[in-house]
Amino acid sequence: MGTINSAFNLITSALDADQSALDIVANNVANANTTGYTREVPNFEETSPIQINGVQYGTGVTQTGPVSVRDSVLEQRLAQQQQLAASSGSELGALNTLQALFTPDSGSSGATAGDIGSDLTTFFSSFSALEANPTDSALRQQVLAAATTLAGDVSNAADSLNSQRTALDQEAAGVTSQVNSLTSAIAQLNRQIQSNSPATDAGTLEDQRVQDISQLSQSIGINQVTTENNGLSITTTSGQLLVSQAASFQLTTGQVNGVTDFFVNGTDVTAQLTTGGGSLGGFLTARDQDIPNALSSLDQLAYSVSTQVNALNNAGTNLNGVEGTGTNAAGVTGTGTTPLYIFNEPTQVAGSAAALSVITTDPSQIAAAGFGDGTGDDSNAVALANLANQGIVNGQSPTGYYSQFVSQLGSTVLRVQTDNTAQNASVTQLQTQVNALSGVNLNDEASSLQQYERAYQAASEVFTILDTVISSALNLGVQTAVS
Amino acid sequence: MRVSGTLTARPEMRAIVLEASQALAHLDADRLEELARCCQSLNRTTNRTAASSGVAERTTLGREAEAIMREMEVFARVLEATRANLRVLRRLRDMRSEPSEYTALPGRN
Repeated sequence: MGTINSAFNLITSALDADQSALDIVANNVANANTTGYTREVPNFEETSPIQINGVQYGTGVTQTGPVSVRDSVLEQRLAQQQQLAASSGSELGALNTLQALFTPDSGSSGATAGDIGSDLTTFFSSFSALEANPTDSALRQQVLAAATTLAGDVSNAADSLNSQRTALDQEAAGVTSQVNSLTSAIAQLNRQIQSNSPATDAGTLEDQRVQDISQLSQSIGINQVTTENNGLSITTTSGQLLVSQAASFQLTTGQVNGVTDFFVNGTDVTAQLTTGGGSLGGFLTARDQDIPNALSSLDQLAYSVSTQVNALNNAGTNLNGVEGTGTNAAGVTGTGTTPLYIFNEPTQVAGSAAALSVITTDPSQIAAAGFGDGTGDDSNAVALANLANQGIVNGQSPTGYYSQFVSQLGSTVLRVQTDNTAQNASVTQLQTQVNALSGVNLNDEASSLQQYERAYQAASEVFTILDTVISSALNLGVQTAVS
Repeated sequence: MRVSGTLTARPEMRAIVLEASQALAHLDADRLEELARCCQSLNRTTNRTAASSGVAERTTLGREAEAIMREMEVFARVLEATRANLRVLRRLRDMRSEPSEYTALPGRN
């Protein structure tokens, strides 16, 4: 009887196990379109054998619950790439806005920079025009008008950069609440997973945790550390703890030197978050590096042009015969009591662009003549016009310096754009692989990897041939140019 | 090729590079293999052009090549990212295929 009972039990448990497996398949089908759902497979376990007269008999299988088909290494790699793509994406958005500001056709009024390059040319050319007739009031008026346009465009550009920096600061601060809500949710899920499934895959709870981590990766750079009982710790890429088992640690903000800084457990982690990734990393890179770099270049331009033009104008004689207070190239100091300045005189480089303005409305204040040469002289106007070609801004001419600034900005935009395109492609690849893994068995997974290898090999071949074609085409061009 | 005084890149060359980046992002091996065949044909055409063309045509070809350097840079970066991903996947496969340190105890019937 015992044997018949055992046989019945064996058949019953096998049927139960099959029924559970069918339930899991039905669940997979029902959730086929659920975002973030990971396919589950039944886990069959052999039940303990029965010993009869010293001989062991297997007693069949039981189904011990579904196991999700996931790969934490692949998911972590995906999260890493998402962090990089989100960071370059948000930096690229900011850089595009920045670059649009310095696009010549964007107009010269309001919050745009207009065409500072052409403003500089027009300004110095107006002194060249004045050389021909130094006493002509219309020509003097043109000098002031060109100076006003230049100063207006430079200070508008600086104002726009500062506004963009403020907007980025707010966007960065806004990420904090999203990060905190996700880390709290992950800590809660950790608690549930550790108590419900300490030794097995937690199914939908795990799906939810993976999705939350994916979202968190798009906001901030993180590292994941798997802990005992299916727990998970999350740190920033520089190691500050955000989630430890069932506890989460809030990211807080505070104002430091007029901008928002970020803290974890009282430590300022702003610099680390900047390089860490996620959209926050991109916002902070634009706020703390790209915009300050642009502003600093603009400040240097404004400082050098205004101080050099002022110094030369102050070393000449105005239309009323009044000399400035400066010393000319021959070492002669003017007899005037008040400096003859065209622009406000900056005291330091920082802030020069935003403050740049023309301080005189009287065209007669332009000192076209040299000291003691009479008001009809043009020697100082010639010297002022020649500034256009002298290395007065960090060793470069004003237009040369500005061109280099715009060109460097363009290179930065292209670099970040290239990074972003490649990182998004990498995310797409990994997502494809995660989806493939979620829907196939281990044999199919091997063929999926083969497909990956095949795509890579073919792409390498395309690249190598194109590289050869381009190299020979470039050589043809060079040879032609030389001959 | 010369349009309103400006040179544009040979359309097939640019299209191949753009499509290759796209296909690689989606791991479309079939399309990439087709593109590799297109490239071989393009290579032969370029070699013929090099041998038979005049100065103007050679200069144009050189400038066309310059014009797609940016797309090539993107393609190179996607290829680089793919290589890194593939390295992770290969290691993953190797880890799985290695025998586990804690295998089942022997001797059970």
